[in-house]
Amino acid sequence: MGLVRHEASILLLQGKGLLAFLDGLSTNHVDGPCTTVFTTRAAKIIDVCDIVPVGEHVAIVGHAMNKNVLAAHLAERILGQSITITDISDLNDVFIDVGDSEIPPDATVHDSFFGKMFIVPIKHNWQATWAMEQWNEHRITNLIPYHGHEITDSHHPLACGLEPLVHPQKGCYVGQEVLTRMRSRGKQGHQLVVRPNPVEKPTTQGKERSLCIVRTQ
Amino acid sequence: MDCGTCESATPLEVHRPDEVDVELTLTEKATTMLEDAFGDDRSHALLVGVLSGGCSGYMYDLQIVESTDTPCQELNINGFRVLVPSASSHLLNGIEIDYVDRLMGGGFKINNPNASSSCGCGESFS
Repeated sequence: MGLVRHEASILLLQGKGLLAFLDGLSTNHVDGPCTTVFTTRAAKIIDVCDIVPVGEHVAIVGHAMNKNVLAAHLAERILGQSITITDISDLNDVFIDVGDSEIPPDATVHDSFFGKMFIVPIKHNWQATWAMEQWNEHRITNLIPYHGHEITDSHHPLACGLEPLVHPQKGCYVGQEVLTRMRSRGKQGHQLVVRPNPVEKPTTQGKERSLCIVRTQ
Repeated sequence: MDCGTCESATPLEVHRPDEVDVELTLTEKATTMLEDAFGDDRSHALLVGVLSGGCSGYMYDLQIVESTDTPCQELNINGFRVLVPSASSHLLNGIEIDYVDRLMGGGFKINNPNASSSCGCGESFS
């Protein structure tokens, strides 16, 4: 078991009503630390993010490749609210722990959908103990989707294994109508599966098995 | 975590759309319903705002208020004080406030020429 580096972006939100603001824009019920998905009106994924309250502020840990789109998505909806967004990605390293790794100094520990997450000040120069290939094998075994593989802007959360992050009973959020309709009609179109190799169009290629997203109807 | 709040991490620049002078209309039915709600007291105002969230990204927010701390444009429509937050003016210019009288889904309804889509319940738009 080991520690893998998460190529993260971290946006720090400061202001009032932050959790309610994020709750209205994402699929999970956001009332404290959690993992949630920001989606477009068509329910396509913008980013899968960990919500980490930090004192009176809230850190949003997403993936680096989605940072600009996510920041724009949030900023557009601030309107008159007194909320500021600060990019603190360069100040911290983020790791996902699979197992029981030593907790780095000054780390913020968060229970993420992906595993135990450590957010560590960059000055500690903490290092991963796992390579991406090991992380991928772990994900294949446990059917865990990940950024750039299964989690892309061409999929909706139900199609790529993020169903636990779509709260079934919360109120309106961006993309909710589409996701609720898919669920109520039992038609989500695609689903994440693990298949023995060889696999046509794998999203994550493993040594013996791979992850892929297949059509369900 | 190093949250940067005690250092010099720069806040991201949030694009704030330009404020526009809002024009807004009330239908006859909406005016009648507001007359019922306000009575002869015109000290209060109708606050027409926008919140983030909802199925389509933004939600309408109608309130009767005495005053507000939010910077607003103040309009006089059919004898009513109507307040529109400046930060939402670009989303609300040209709207028509109507009243729909039916058992389910009735109430004030906003017809918004700026909305490219709205959700089924009509409370949310984008």
